[in-house]
Order: sequence, then C-alpha cells, then structure tokens
Amino acid sequence: MPHLSVNPSSKPNCSTVWLISVLLGLLAVHTNANDVLTVPQQVSLSTNMDSQQLSISWLAGAATTFDLMILRTELNESVFYETVSVMVSQLSGRHEWNWTSVEPLQCTSLSIKIRSREGQSTSEWSNTEILQGSDLPSEEKCQMFPPDRVVPVGANTTFCCIVKEGKQFGTINYGNTVMNTTRLSRRSYATTVVNQGLSGSSGTNLVCYNSFKEIEIGAVVFVGYPPLPSDFLCETHDLTSAVCLWNERRNTNLYKTRGSRYMLNNRTFTLSWSRNPKKEYRVDHWEVNWTLVVVNPLGQYSLTDSAELSHRVTPVAPENLTSVAHATNATVLWQWKYDGYSSLALVCQVELTSQGYKTNHTFSGVGLRAVVLPDLYPYEDYSVQVRCGAQQNFWKWGSWSETMSFKTSSIVPEAPDMWVWMNKDYTGQVIWKPLTGRQSRGLMTGYEVTLWSPGESLQHTEILPPDTFAVPVNLTQMATASSDNMVMATVTAKNTEGVSLPASVLIPLRLTDADPRAVSQAVYTDSGFSLFWQSDVNTTCSYVIEWHNASCKWNCPVDWIKVAPGNTNVSIESANFQPGVRYNFSLYSSSSEAPELLQRWQGYMQELVPSSPVLSLLTTQEDSDILLTWGQIPLVSRRGFLLGYNIYISSGSQLTLLANLSDPGSRSYTVNGLSEGSYKFTVKAYTSAGEDTGATASIMLEPFTDWLILEILASLGVTALFLVIVTFLCYKKRKWVKKAFYPDIPEPKLPGDWSRSQAPLDVKPPHHSLVHMVERPEWDSSKEALVVIPEEDEDEDGQGIGDELVDTDEPTSLRYYNQVVDERPIRPRYPDSSDSSASSLDSARTDVTYTGIQTSGSSFVFQLDPQGSSEGHQPQADPSFCAGGGGGYRPQMQSRVPSDDTGPASPNPFPEPQAASGYKPQSSWQMDSPVDDGEGRSRASSLGSPTSIASTQFLLPDGEDHTEEKRQPSSSAATWLTNLLSSTKP
Amino acid sequence: MADLEQDEQREQTEQSPALDSPLPGPTQTGRAVSIARLLHHECGLLLQLYKEKESFLSSYSPDGGRMVSPSPVPQEEASGEQQVERLHAALRQCLGLLHSVLLKEEEEWGEQEEDYETLKKNVRHRLEHLLLSTRGLLEGPDTTLEVTPDHQGTEEPDGAGGLFGLKVWTYRVLLELHHWADHAAETLHVFHMERGGAADL
Repeated sequence: MPHLSVNPSSKPNCSTVWLISVLLGLLAVHTNANDVLTVPQQVSLSTNMDSQQLSISWLAGAATTFDLMILRTELNESVFYETVSVMVSQLSGRHEWNWTSVEPLQCTSLSIKIRSREGQSTSEWSNTEILQGSDLPSEEKCQMFPPDRVVPVGANTTFCCIVKEGKQFGTINYGNTVMNTTRLSRRSYATTVVNQGLSGSSGTNLVCYNSFKEIEIGAVVFVGYPPLPSDFLCETHDLTSAVCLWNERRNTNLYKTRGSRYMLNNRTFTLSWSRNPKKEYRVDHWEVNWTLVVVNPLGQYSLTDSAELSHRVTPVAPENLTSVAHATNATVLWQWKYDGYSSLALVCQVELTSQGYKTNHTFSGVGLRAVVLPDLYPYEDYSVQVRCGAQQNFWKWGSWSETMSFKTSSIVPEAPDMWVWMNKDYTGQVIWKPLTGRQSRGLMTGYEVTLWSPGESLQHTEILPPDTFAVPVNLTQMATASSDNMVMATVTAKNTEGVSLPASVLIPLRLTDADPRAVSQAVYTDSGFSLFWQSDVNTTCSYVIEWHNASCKWNCPVDWIKVAPGNTNVSIESANFQPGVRYNFSLYSSSSEAPELLQRWQGYMQELVPSSPVLSLLTTQEDSDILLTWGQIPLVSRRGFLLGYNIYISSGSQLTLLANLSDPGSRSYTVNGLSEGSYKFTVKAYTSAGEDTGATASIMLEPFTDWLILEILASLGVTALFLVIVTFLCYKKRKWVKKAFYPDIPEPKLPGDWSRSQAPLDVKPPHHSLVHMVERPEWDSSKEALVVIPEEDEDEDGQGIGDELVDTDEPTSLRYYNQVVDERPIRPRYPDSSDSSASSLDSARTDVTYTGIQTSGSSFVFQLDPQGSSEGHQPQADPSFCAGGGGGYRPQMQSRVPSDDTGPASPNPFPEPQAASGYKPQSSWQMDSPVDDGEGRSRASSLGSPTSIASTQFLLPDGEDHTEEKRQPSSSAATWLTNLLSSTKP
Repeated sequence: MADLEQDEQREQTEQSPALDSPLPGPTQTGRAVSIARLLHHECGLLLQLYKEKESFLSSYSPDGGRMVSPSPVPQEEASGEQQVERLHAALRQCLGLLHSVLLKEEEEWGEQEEDYETLKKNVRHRLEHLLLSTRGLLEGPDTTLEVTPDHQGTEEPDGAGGLFGLKVWTYRVLLELHHWADHAAETLHVFHMERGGAADL
C-alpha cells in the first residue's frame, strides 16, 4: 500500500500540490488495477446428481486465478472457499471448474460466487448463483438422498434426510445403528456412513425418523464389489460353434438391475442368475479372438482369448453305450451326437469298475465308437463309462458318458486251496478254502472229496454242498487195509459250467508222535507274524504254512497259506487273530510227496496278562520255613509267554514282594526266616503284559516242637552233667567240705569255779562249741538263760542249726560273765582291732564278749551277697544291733519262733539284725524264702533254716532290743562287715 | 413347509368333488373356512418373516387406508352370498397385489432367501385355492366369477420412493393380505353357519 506522510515543516503551498499529485497518482494506479481484474460474469451451474458433482462455468476474460466460495444458502455456512487456477476452455471459451460435494447436491441449496484474483488484488464478487436444493419450502414432502446408491465395500457415503414440512427431525439409522447427524438446513440433516460392509441381497436400509420416532423416509444402499472374472476361454463341442467359459472369482453381491452385464466381442448378453461361479455363453460361430467385458455399477473387467478351433475341441460325451460280454472280455460300443466326429481322430478313456475297484483303459482311433476290454473275470459284474478327446492337438477330455453295466459269462471254477489236518491217530479232516466269487467263476453247485490209496486202488468219494469247507476223515481202515504209506486226499469244486481241476494232498499213514522240530517264538508286527526259515538252495518245493490256536488239540480249525518256492520269509496276517491267544505255526514243504514239517513257531498277536492265577497254591511249613508250591496256569489262560512269578507276602492290604522267580518253570518257593504267626502269600505269574491277579494262600506258622524238645533235653542234660560234676567234686573234696562247712565244735571246758568271780571270766572255748539260745514267745527277762549245748547234740543232717555257719578258726579264750551284770542300756560297741571282744554284742541284760568268731571265707562270701545287702526290707546296718547285745544273736531267736507264733510277733517287727550282729547267713537265706517280707516273714523264714554258729560265745536273748534299736541310727552293711571281720581276727 | 404342502394337497383332493357340486353345502363352506384360516396363518408367517428380513418395519405403522377396496355392500342389508361375493372380489385384488409383489421383488432382488420365497409361493397358491373355493360357493346358473388377479383399483408402489418405497409397499401388501385372510375366515365362517355348518370347525 502507498504510504502517505505529511511533513509540517514544509511549505504549505508546495506541500499541498505535492500531496494532491500523490493522491491523484494513487487513484490512477487503483483505477488501472480494477480495469485488469474482471469481475466474473455469466456464472452458470450444472450438476451430476449421481456423482454429486457441480460444474461451474463463467466468463472472466484473461483472468486465470479465482476465488470460489460455496455456501449453504439457508444457514450461510461456507462449504468451500478456495483460490483456484482455472484456464479458459478452448471449446466453450468459458472458465469451467468442477466441484464434488460430500453431500448429495439435493440436500440443501448452495450459493456460489466467484471473483478474480491476481496476487493480492481481487475483483468484485460475481453475482451469487444458487443451486436449489430439495429442502425448499415449496417441496413439503420428506425426502432422502441419495435414494438407492450402489457403493463398493469400504466406501464412505453421506446421506441426507429432508424432513416433511412441519415435522421435527429425529434420527437417521443405518441398518440398526443410530448415526451421528449434521444439520445442513432447517429441514435437512446429513450423516456419513464410513467403511461400509457388504449389504444383504435386498440392500441395507437407511431410515430417517422424525422426533416422534415415526419413519419419515428411507433409502437403500447396496454395498458390493466390482466384477472379477477369470479363466476365460472358448472351446467347441460340435466342431462349429463356440462355448466360452469363465469363472466369477468373487461374488459381487449385486444382483438383477445392479448385477453384472456382459459383452462378448462387443455383443451384449445376459445370463440367468445362478449361484454357480462358473459361467458360460454359447456363440454360433467360431472366432479366433475373443474378448469378454463384465460391467457392474462399481466397475468393469475384460478378458481375452485366442485360439484355432481345432485346438479347442472338447468332445461331447459318448451316447447310447452297449456291450457284448464274454467270459474274459467284452466289447463296448457307443454313438456320437455329431456326424463331424466320424472323421475326427479321437482318444478315448474307458473306466471299468468292478467290486469297487476302477481301472482305466485308453483306446484311440478316427471316429472311435467301439473298444474291446480284455482280461475280465468270468461271471463278474462290471460297469463302464467312456470319455474322449481329440487325438491331435489334444485340448481336454470331454464329459464322461452315462454308466453302462454288463456281466461276463461263467466257466468252470478254479481248483480249491485245500489242506489236511490230522490228529494223533488216523482221524482228521480235509479242509479247503471257500472259493471267492472270482474263483468260483460261476454259480457253485458243490465240492467232491476223494480219498484213495494209489497202490491198493482203494477210493472213497464224498459229494458235498457248496457251503461245506471241511470233511472229517478216518484213515484207520485204509491204514490197516492198505500197504501203502500214503493216502491221497483230492478236492474238486463244481459249478454250473463243470468241475474244476483237482487239488490234492498226500497224507502219510505212518504217524509218529515224535516232533523233532524245536519251537521258535514268532513275533507279531504291524504286518502280521513275521516268520523266517532257512531255504535249501537245491530244493524247489513250495511251502505251506499252517497255523491254529495252540490250545486246540483235536480237529482244530486251521488256516494256511501257500508260499512260492524260494521264499524264506512271510508275514502272516489274519482277521481271526485274537489278542492273548497263542498260535502254533508250522512250515511244511509242499511237493509231490507228503508234506514234511520243517519248522515250528509259537506266538501271540498281543500278549495279555494271564487271565487266571496259578493253580493249587499250597503252603507247607517245613521246620521254621514255609514252602510255597503251585501248579502251572493252563495254556488258554496264560495269554502270553510266562516270564516268571512274583512272590508276595501280604500285610493287610499291602503286598510286599518277597521274590521274583524269572524261571517260568518254577513251581515252588521257600520262605525263610519267618517267626511264628499267620502269613498270607500271593503268587502272581507275569507275562510281558504284566502280572495276573494272583493266587493267595495263608498259613499259621507253628513253633517248631522238635527243636523245643531237643533244647529242653539238652538243657536238662547239661544241668544233670553239672550236678554230677559238682557231686563228684564234692565227693572228692568231702573232707574239705566237711572242714569248711561242718567243722567239729569242741565241747566247752569249764575249769574251776567261775560262777562267783567278778572278774572277767576267761574261758578258752573248746575247739568247737555250739550255742543254742532258747527262746520262747513268752520270754521273760527273768528267765533269760544261755544254754550251752554239747557238740554232740548237733544235728549232723544239717537240720536246725547244724546248717549254720561254723567257725573254723582255732578256739579262742572267751570271757564269760557268770551272770547278768547290769541293766544298763545297750551301748554300741565298735570293733576293736586289739581286742577280741571288740565285736561282742551287748544285750540289754547281758554283755557277751566275743573273743572271736571265726567264720569261713565261703560263708562270708555267701553273707555278702549283694542282694542281701541291697534289700531294703532287710536292712544290713541297723545300729541297734551294733549297740544292743540282746540282738546280737537274733537268728537263733528267730529260728526258734514257731510257725504259729502269735504272741511276740508284734506288729512292729524287729529290724533285721544282720548289720550289727554280723550274722548274715540267716539273712541271706531269708532272701530266698518265698514268704513275705517284714517281721513276720523274717521270723517265719527262720524256721527250719540252716543255721550254724561256730562260736564260743554265749548269746543272751534280747527282748528289748527293739527299743535299743530305735535308739541306734542305722549303719551300713559295710560297717557290719567291718565289725564282723574285726571280730574274727585272732 | 412340508406339512403345509401336504395339507394343501389333501384339501385340493377333497375340494375337487365339492366344486362340482351344484349347491354349496356345509362341507364346501367348511372347507372354504379351513382354507381361509390356513391362508390367514400363512400370511401371518409371511408377514413375520418379512419383518425379520426388513427389521425397520417393526416401527412402521401405515397411516393410509385399505389398499384393497371392493365395492361396498351395506352390512345390514347384505346377504351371506353378497358378503362372500364382496370377499371374493377383495381376494382377487389381494391376488393382484401379491402378483405385483412377486414380480417387482423378482425384478429388483432376484431370488431371495429360500424360506421367504417358498412361503410367498404357498400364500399365492393358497389364495388362488381360496378364490376357487369362494367361487364354488357362489357360482350358479346366472353368475360367473373370475379367479384371476385383479389389478384395478389397487395401489401400486410409488416409483419416487425408490427401493425403500418398494419395501414399504410390499409390507403394506402383506398386511393387507393378512387382513383379508382374516376377514375371509370370519365371513366364510358366518356363511358356513348360515348353511347349517357346525360352529366348531
């Protein structure tokens, strides 16, 4: 823009002139510019409603750049406003520009105006041209645009609904979907459907509802594909016309008026609607070049083909097939629809079907219309169909003819496949396999079986019906009547055409039980039992392999196959094989002589666990062992090769494996090392498939009485021997024993008057003296006395005191007090090593001073029995005995207590005196007494006990010792022992 | 469908001697009532099937009058024969509409779903059969009734409505068929009662 500036310092006149000049100049420039930019004139509009295209043309001189503005007239909304470059059309001399609207052009009125532009300069806008929409008030009815649109899959389409005058817009539904809408005018609303999917056969509905949810108007949109044909070619069947074929690779989803239209070499044609994608169209005359164009509303597709007629011959199907059948061949004849085929070189394929199997035979010839089919089976049903092609420039096979059936004629049957089963005697059966349909070659009428002895001309023939395949034979008579070693069995089959050739087997009459062939194990595989054998290269005989259930022994239903010479292996498969069944296979040589057994096998198709356990499981006790024995499982129950046995012992529900016997021939097992009790054993045989359920037997293991008796006898013998030895030793050492246990007690010697002496009475005791203390229950202290019993009064039998300890020491001087000296309480006296009376026992009333008590060592040992010392109820160290002289000789007192003692047996019995008195033997003996412990027991136990005193002392009974005892603390047995030992010192 | 066809065959077999009878009896009228009721049932099925096919029609309620309008006869003065005759005329117009539907649908859509096509054909045959029956009820020495489709006076689809209009029009035709089949069953039942037929058909 020109820039104006005023300088106040300039002179007014010059400045004014200069300013006017500038303004005039600017005005002139502007006027010139307006003259160049022509305002567009004669704006014209034309529309293509289907393509929604608006064509605008105008006159604008030489201008090439224009501003275009398109507004929705009613709402004055800008739809398009851009600067475009438009050249003048040479044809019309006008500027022309096309604009495609998103919405259908009928949706609402559009205002269009244009102005020229050159750089930043523009002309005035042209007059506004209005494209009238269908929403004008004058058109009151409801409308929807576009009404019936065909669009490709995936397209986006904008629809608009113009509601009826006076109604309010509601919604627009596409199918069942409520769409978002845009208001275009007072009555017009638009919606855009994006990425449209295939519509149904009658299209997809677009429905416009008013505010009352009533249907105002609707439209139908069809969504499909453009055509896509393929595999276009033309061929001829009649050698004149053409049949053009193609495939519709894709269903366009458009039908009828919107469906595909076709043009072949610019000739339009229609095809009846069909779901089959394979299309064809026939043209009367062959043309070398062919062009197919397929068109639908969404697009078009063209294909071409080019070929000579002779290269595109596809013969029609042969017609009217007939046949002339014989036993092993047949002639098939047919006719051609077109005469032109008579000179056409043809190659024909004959498909022969019999028993479900198809075979193809190919023949050729000019105008071929008959062929001979060789190598047919007699009495067989066949069906046949034929198709042909051009032998030269073969294009493709023609269509198959209709199927024609025929049956070949019958002839005599084949010789049956026979075999002989012989039992261990001269009985058996002749068996043969049923002839198949093809082997019978006609309607079977029966079989003829002949047994004959070639040398003796003995013959026996039997006619059998056609459903018989075995006949029993008894060769006993022939064996006795014939001198031959062989009998020949012959079987022939008969049908309506005659008798077959005979099949025969030689049967040896001298049967032997010897079976020299070892039995091998046959393994079953997917192809059956695989059998192998050694072949003698010099022999040319064939083989027969026979098999049967191994558990069958008599007239067994055998099966067999024949093996050609030279083979050394075969796989035997049969539908009759059963799992768990043992089969015997025998290989025979098949020659002019009788069959010779070459090899044998046994095998299972599938081994199973035995179906029954071992038989007769028995348990037997052998000494302290248990012997298990059992019988073998029957063959039919084994169901596999036995590999061994497992021996289990059961405890509750648990089975514990005792042993695994891998020898299948085992029949027994010995269980060792079991103690007495009840046992249950289970024996399970096993095959490769596993164990059977097992047989169980129980046994109660009794003590082994013989051994017990032997043990008792042995113990008794040893005891007796010991006693004998002891007796013998005692006898041999009787003097020593006597001396040790029964020393002679010298009589007491009483020299002088000792009764009055107040001094201690020194007495030299006799060598042996026996002191008896007399005691009665009603003992009274006033009657206390010591009675010296002469030695000769001793019981030599060991009764009474005679068993008591004997002092074997030399007699020592005893100091006797001639009377009871005082009534002092008992005071303890402890052994004095220097005094012989140190171990004397004080009595409550009597002081007895021991000058010595000599006791044999053995007696001590006996006294010092640890048991005695440890017995609680026999205290060994009662201090009362140590202090009280009255208790010093209690054993005698106790021994005198009668069994009916009731008086003195106080409830508080005496404590055991041994500890202090040093008289252990009684105590020890008492230990072994079976009577109860306690005082009473002590006393009772003294009765009859062996008591021996080897003493020179006088012992005073003590009736109050218990009082003294209470005053004395207890002492240990060691103290007692020490006292005793001290007292025995010389 | 198989049951319907069997019924139809049985009815046709039974109908043939009745049509030859000079005077309509209860047996003829009863059979006509049965055919009308069967037609009504099948029209209902066809209507339902079409609504399922064009689901927007479930919210459509036609605001126009009857598409089929036979010449009016005052109800109180009309005899039974006149009522049946009026019914016969209406059924002919219905057949004309149905033929138009079949034709236009074939032009626009081609062969559609099998069950829909089968049911359309059954209704057409049933309607033709009913026309034969009503003619048999009315035909006498002085009257000759047509059984061909009557296209006069029937409303054709509005071409401006496009295919959407065709669908709406087809729906209205099916509604009309359903209505007149029901009306036929009622009218023929009354006629059957007048002729001494049993009420509990």
